[in-house]
Amino acid sequence: MSDAIEVKSVTRVFGGNGKGPAKALDDVSLSVKEGELFGLLGPNGAGKTTLIKILATLLLPSSGQVKVLGYDVEKEVDKIRPRINMVSGGDVGGYGLLTVRENLWMFSQFYGIPTKEANERIDHLLKLFALDDKSNAKVRTISTGQKQKMNVIRGFVTEPDVIYLDEPTLGLDVNASFAIRTYLRKWVKEQKGKTMLLTTHYMVEADELCDRVAIIDKGKILACDTPINLKRMLRRSSTFDVETTIFPEIESMGRLAGVEGFQVKQLGDKVVTRYVVEQESVIADVISAIQSKGGKLTSLSKTEPTLEDVFIHLVGRGLE
Amino acid sequence: MIDWRLQCRAIYGRAYPRAIGALREPSWMFFDIFLPLLSISAFIFYYRALGAPAVYEGFVVIGGAMTAFWLSVMWGMATQFYWEKETGNLELYMMAPMSKMSILAGMALGGMFLTSVRAISTIVLGVIIFQVQMQLTSPLLLVFAFIITLIALYGMGMLFSSLYMFWGRGAWHLSNLMQEPIYLVSGFYFPVKQLGFYVAMAASIIPITLGLDSMRQILFGAGANGLLPVVEEIAILCVVAVVFIIAAWYSLRHMEYLGKKEGRLVLRSQ
Amino acid sequence: MESNWTSPWLFLVYSVVKPIFGTLILVFMYLIILGGVQDQTLFSFMFIGNAFYMFVAQTMFGVAYVVQEDRERFKTLKQVYIAPISYFMYIVGRAISKLAITALAVVITLIFGVAFLNVGVDLGATDWLLFGVGLFVGLLCVVVIGVALAGITFLTARHSSGINEGIAGLFYLFCGVVYPMTVLPSWGQTIGMAIPFTYWLEMMRRALAPGTDFSAISGLGGYSNLEITALLLATTVVFLIISVAIFRYADHLARKKGKLDMNSTY
Repeated sequence: MSDAIEVKSVTRVFGGNGKGPAKALDDVSLSVKEGELFGLLGPNGAGKTTLIKILATLLLPSSGQVKVLGYDVEKEVDKIRPRINMVSGGDVGGYGLLTVRENLWMFSQFYGIPTKEANERIDHLLKLFALDDKSNAKVRTISTGQKQKMNVIRGFVTEPDVIYLDEPTLGLDVNASFAIRTYLRKWVKEQKGKTMLLTTHYMVEADELCDRVAIIDKGKILACDTPINLKRMLRRSSTFDVETTIFPEIESMGRLAGVEGFQVKQLGDKVVTRYVVEQESVIADVISAIQSKGGKLTSLSKTEPTLEDVFIHLVGRGLE
Repeated sequence: MIDWRLQCRAIYGRAYPRAIGALREPSWMFFDIFLPLLSISAFIFYYRALGAPAVYEGFVVIGGAMTAFWLSVMWGMATQFYWEKETGNLELYMMAPMSKMSILAGMALGGMFLTSVRAISTIVLGVIIFQVQMQLTSPLLLVFAFIITLIALYGMGMLFSSLYMFWGRGAWHLSNLMQEPIYLVSGFYFPVKQLGFYVAMAASIIPITLGLDSMRQILFGAGANGLLPVVEEIAILCVVAVVFIIAAWYSLRHMEYLGKKEGRLVLRSQ
Repeated sequence: MESNWTSPWLFLVYSVVKPIFGTLILVFMYLIILGGVQDQTLFSFMFIGNAFYMFVAQTMFGVAYVVQEDRERFKTLKQVYIAPISYFMYIVGRAISKLAITALAVVITLIFGVAFLNVGVDLGATDWLLFGVGLFVGLLCVVVIGVALAGITFLTARHSSGINEGIAGLFYLFCGVVYPMTVLPSWGQTIGMAIPFTYWLEMMRRALAPGTDFSAISGLGGYSNLEITALLLATTVVFLIISVAIFRYADHLARKKGKLDMNSTY
């Protein structure tokens, strides 16, 4: 199977608003195979959107080489653009005065799809996303979730060979997110040879959908593998959820020897802290340290590693 | 090779919201047709107060109607890519396979349709209310002069649109600046020749100058005090139209490259 | 945001180039027809009226644009709207800052007229009391009408720039701004007499150019200064009540129809 996306040593520098140049991508290399659903996981400002914009022919890399479907994003845009599409969460596109159907039709025209064919695809997708009852509603009158569904349909109506989804479920409720995730899974499964690159904040989404995941932070790829293999990275390590009362200098716990990853969540007057430790014995030191700082242990459990733990392990902090 | 079918679909696709959107917003009917007539009426009463010959009232009606096109080019074309960027549409346009010129052509066609309705309504009402007398000698030549004026004018709008793409708020101020001075030097309310031959020729870089002058000559004959013979004016307009469209094409390509290089296609100005 | 206008480039655009060229259109029309400024009364009538009318046009255009821009560009309309200050007062504040900027353009235009076109403004003989009262009441009227227009803009699309040029055109047409009202048909003169700007501009002319007798052409020659002031006050009160009512109704309707965050671009 050949590569749908090849990124070689790509760096992208922005002006930096007077604070000196800012590196959004720093020597990034990765490849995505045809037919693969590839996830890009990273916190805000990690460089995910910058990479997607480069792949979508909207931005040039400062250095390095990027190929999509075998074509160079800088010199062969005309060969790439008819075969790609992009959906960004939060951005809807189109015009509020047009109906949902008209907006989708308008974008289909920019890809040269005959009206009859475009309408058939639009009808099919509207039904799949349970948006058919809103097809004749003006875009400015529909809800945020419905707008985002329309946005996703816009991306798929052109039947691209490669689609980039930048946080497609951002800010959506459970039902709308579920509908979109279900469709994405179905699309990659049924449309053989079609490639999807998905960026997301949601670890579960990446774990559930992606064939492979790259973890990116501060413009660098920290790891890239299947979710199973990434979780295997933590086999040597152990993950514990420790519930305690609130105690001072809790953040300093992350700096204890043997603690590889650390994430704190406050729940009422309790604190649940996830520790990724080198060896199980380290947790004894952690408990001693908690007690010496005046914290009271209320529960302790060992957990199976998740993608989130991998992220904490690699980045040293959680996403939130 | 250019895929003309794709380009035509893209032009139609972008023209559609312009035309249908305007019809769907009922407020435009009132504001864009009846109210500009008030300004035209004011200029006509001003000429009446000065004791001007009746033909000048006709000049005002035609000039006032063409104001709609100038405003459409400045606000509906030149600043539009900037608005599209702010609303998130620009990157979707840039990523799509059609030529970006097709998007501009679509906006122009939709804008021309909308503005023509407004301008023709203004002329009809102006002629009826103020009893403007015209001596239309050659309707075909009038239509041709009108169409070539619009092509040249919207070609200029396309050029401005690409130049303004990343300029943001500055573009808005420039569009504002290009109202009163242009109304003056292009002779919106009087024959441009009255400004002197050289000033008028210099102002002819703006297509509406010769467009207005030629249409007035066709409609009002010798009373229009034309700058050049109609055929010469139309020939110059044809050249200007081609120059603007080619310049817009080059400018758009350059600005797209610049936008991708500097990241301005993906950053908003807020 | 209006403070941006203090940059030299923007000052040049809005306070010098636009007003001077707007005036030059009228001056050229005058010169083309009459061949020169033989009738100084009519010329000064036009010039002073046009200069002060800038307050009307600029403020109305500016205030309506504030709503469109807040709503569709900055998307801050909702935030400002729900803030503890009333949106009415917010618009009043924005309108006053527009007035301050326009004042520069008016002064520059008048200086240009006096220096190069022999407009009959005589500061030595100016009736400052008449000028001060007239200016205050007139500008108050500009602000309240601007606020009403901002209210209407809640309900209209971005492309309805006609609302600005149109309402301003209505006053330009009927209030004897650049030509005496007497050239209007009688029904037009009746409308003009009901609008405060008619009296306001007459007061400005009488106050600034006491040496020029406008009574023969203005159609208001039969009224004394005191009567003109009373008429300005009375019509302003009526417009104030109507404007506040329009703003409130438009505000209510905008909330009812969910128009406060509409995106009307196409």
